[in-house]
Amino acid sequence: MKKQPAALIHLLLLCLILVGLPCLAAAAEETVCLQCHGGQPGPLGEPVPLWRESVHQGNGISCHDCHGGDPTDFTMAMSPERGFIGVPGEDEIPAFCGRCHVGVLEDYRASAHGQALGAGGPQCVTCHSNHRIQRASIDLINPQDCSQCHEYGRAEELRQAVSGTDALISGLETDLAELHRLGLDTEQLSGTVFSSRNDFHRLFHSVDVEKVRFKTAVFAQDLGKVEEEIAGIRDELGQRKLWGGVIVVLLVLTGLCALLIHKSYKEESGGD
Amino acid sequence: MVNDSLPPNQRRFFLTIILGGLSTALAVVAGWPLFRFLSPDTGGADVEIVEIPRASVDVGGAHFLTYRGRPVVVLQKSAGEFAAFSAVCTHLGCIVKWVSDPGEFLCPCHAGRFSTDGAVLGGPPPKPLEPIPVVLAGDLLRIG
Amino acid sequence: MSPLKRLVDYLDVRLGVRELVRQNLTGYLVPRRANFFYTLGAVLLALFSLQVVTGILLLIYYRPDAANAFASVQYIMNEVPYGWLIRYVHVVGSNIIVIALLLHMLSVLFMGSYKKPRELTWLTGFILFNLSLALCLTGYLLPWSQLSFWATTVATDAAGAVPVVGEMAVQFLRGGAMVGEATLGRFFALHVMGLPLLLGAVIGLHLFLMRRVGISRPPFGPEYEPPAPLLSFRHEEHPDGIPFFPHYVAKDLAAIFFFLAALAWVVFYAPALFIPPAALEPADPFVTPPHIKPEWYFLWAYQTLKIFPSKVIGLAVQGAFMTLLAVLPFLDIGPERRPAHRPLFVTCYFLGILLMVAISIWGHYS
Repeated sequence: MKKQPAALIHLLLLCLILVGLPCLAAAAEETVCLQCHGGQPGPLGEPVPLWRESVHQGNGISCHDCHGGDPTDFTMAMSPERGFIGVPGEDEIPAFCGRCHVGVLEDYRASAHGQALGAGGPQCVTCHSNHRIQRASIDLINPQDCSQCHEYGRAEELRQAVSGTDALISGLETDLAELHRLGLDTEQLSGTVFSSRNDFHRLFHSVDVEKVRFKTAVFAQDLGKVEEEIAGIRDELGQRKLWGGVIVVLLVLTGLCALLIHKSYKEESGGD
Repeated sequence: MVNDSLPPNQRRFFLTIILGGLSTALAVVAGWPLFRFLSPDTGGADVEIVEIPRASVDVGGAHFLTYRGRPVVVLQKSAGEFAAFSAVCTHLGCIVKWVSDPGEFLCPCHAGRFSTDGAVLGGPPPKPLEPIPVVLAGDLLRIG
Repeated sequence: MSPLKRLVDYLDVRLGVRELVRQNLTGYLVPRRANFFYTLGAVLLALFSLQVVTGILLLIYYRPDAANAFASVQYIMNEVPYGWLIRYVHVVGSNIIVIALLLHMLSVLFMGSYKKPRELTWLTGFILFNLSLALCLTGYLLPWSQLSFWATTVATDAAGAVPVVGEMAVQFLRGGAMVGEATLGRFFALHVMGLPLLLGAVIGLHLFLMRRVGISRPPFGPEYEPPAPLLSFRHEEHPDGIPFFPHYVAKDLAAIFFFLAALAWVVFYAPALFIPPAALEPADPFVTPPHIKPEWYFLWAYQTLKIFPSKVIGLAVQGAFMTLLAVLPFLDIGPERRPAHRPLFVTCYFLGILLMVAISIWGHYS
């Protein structure tokens, strides 16, 4: 019993180290843009909650990434010297968004939509909205929005042309996410799908049905390869489960066998 | 159960045989992944042809590279005349060195010597160096 | 004369193997009424052996440096034939071990087996429990994923709440101001060499104590009588017991195979059960992922720290709880082991389990 205090102290230290798991640090710091505008009423504060639900927020794109300015300095945050742009005019919007979405801008400019910019033609925000921007989906082509300017018929045609490939891409993305969750290395396949998706999305900003139909075959080929590889991986996962089932059954049977042997001894020696 | 009619020791005899069989099956099922896990990596052994730029081998010089997981030496005997050999000494498997002064290979382990044709010039090696095909295709040397 | 008999004769002359077998296997009698929970020690031995084997196999392909660790684990999972199987068995095995350890400890508590003369067996067992958790914690960092990095950051940070030496303790654990290459080096050395050696040694001690003192009789049934007070050392014999080999070994084997079946089931049908999504992204010291939670067996500790207003108090409560568990045999000194005759203890026991489960669930959903 003499050595007990030393042993206790050791144990105590061990416990302290082991069990200590405090709460996590607060989320990333807020920029001065969010701190100020977040509390403002009316149009000045509106964008903040909208942005918080956007895909931009999820990907770490904040106010200053589009609007410029200095997100670390309260007094100079909105100074043109620090690159503040503010709100773009309607005609400037495609150039504003196109700083990042380069490919889409190119195809849009060449399209009937882009040609009509400034003459009542739609720009990015018309279809995609602004601060609460979401991942683009095919549902953006719909009767309500398109028929604001023209008949829906031609838009529906485009939607038809696009929908097959779009569904294929979304399906592959879901499949790959599922495989990634299982610990499989899907980086390369995801890369292929991601770049196809980008190329495809810029393509249909040309709003040219013929062009979309023509190129769809090329996309189908690339994506078909990915589909095949996914099918191969699925197949292997199925095999694993099959063998896993065999192993589980074998183990249970072996356990039962040992248990019955134990029981036979018990009976022999009188049991209880 | 049918077994219940048997006396315990007989039943146990059969159960022990079944247990042995199941354990063997499990050992095989567990052994195969283990064997595959530890199986040697093919490490590019299935690559039939290796290409290197012609400029990487000097005239009268030698260049060492790995081909099918083994060391290989490429030689430019005179301008435009190339030869390639396995760099593994046929004596005890050390890697030969190129000695440019007399223009021959020397094995540093037991002083085996080989000519630019791979033939044994002296020392203990029992056989010449194994030749590897090499052809010049434009600016590239194609080995294998 | 068969070759086997000749071999046994050869060994018998030199080592007295027949006597050894008689003393420790065929003539070693264990309690007749030993229940399922008595097999957990053997199950744990088997599971620890499995961890050693799979651990050595993983070491063949694992690279213990920050630049390559994650990629090497990806390589094991995707490129090496059956690498996924070996790694999943190691990962799932560690969780099954924690489950088996908890069951082992809870059964010993319920049956009062920790009482005199087995206080030291309990103490070594408690140390083994802590060493196992330390192995879990150090192993967690090695894949160098987001989860590894941030779980380790948070866990080592807790030591900073200790007054005076806290800051230094954190730096010592991490080998620097932040979790990084130096931490990986330390944790790797501990996980593959330091802790396993220590664990092996303490397991040896635990087994020696168990064998020396003798197996405790289960405190159930009408024939159970509390033993007379122990005044001098006496090995607890069970003259009416069953031979350890082959009677009892068959039961141990059955339990081991059932546990292995459970392990295999998780490995093949729910491999992601113990692998949260953050474990699939490489560590990024500049991006804290949202909603990082510790492993399920640390959730109670995680939540306790959140409940108390100050980290020091939270840590002190946890330390006090663990210390209480460690020294329980020295505080609870009455000879009574039958649960029905220990209403206060049994009440605390079940309330304690409920409290732990509740806090863990709270921690999971908070």
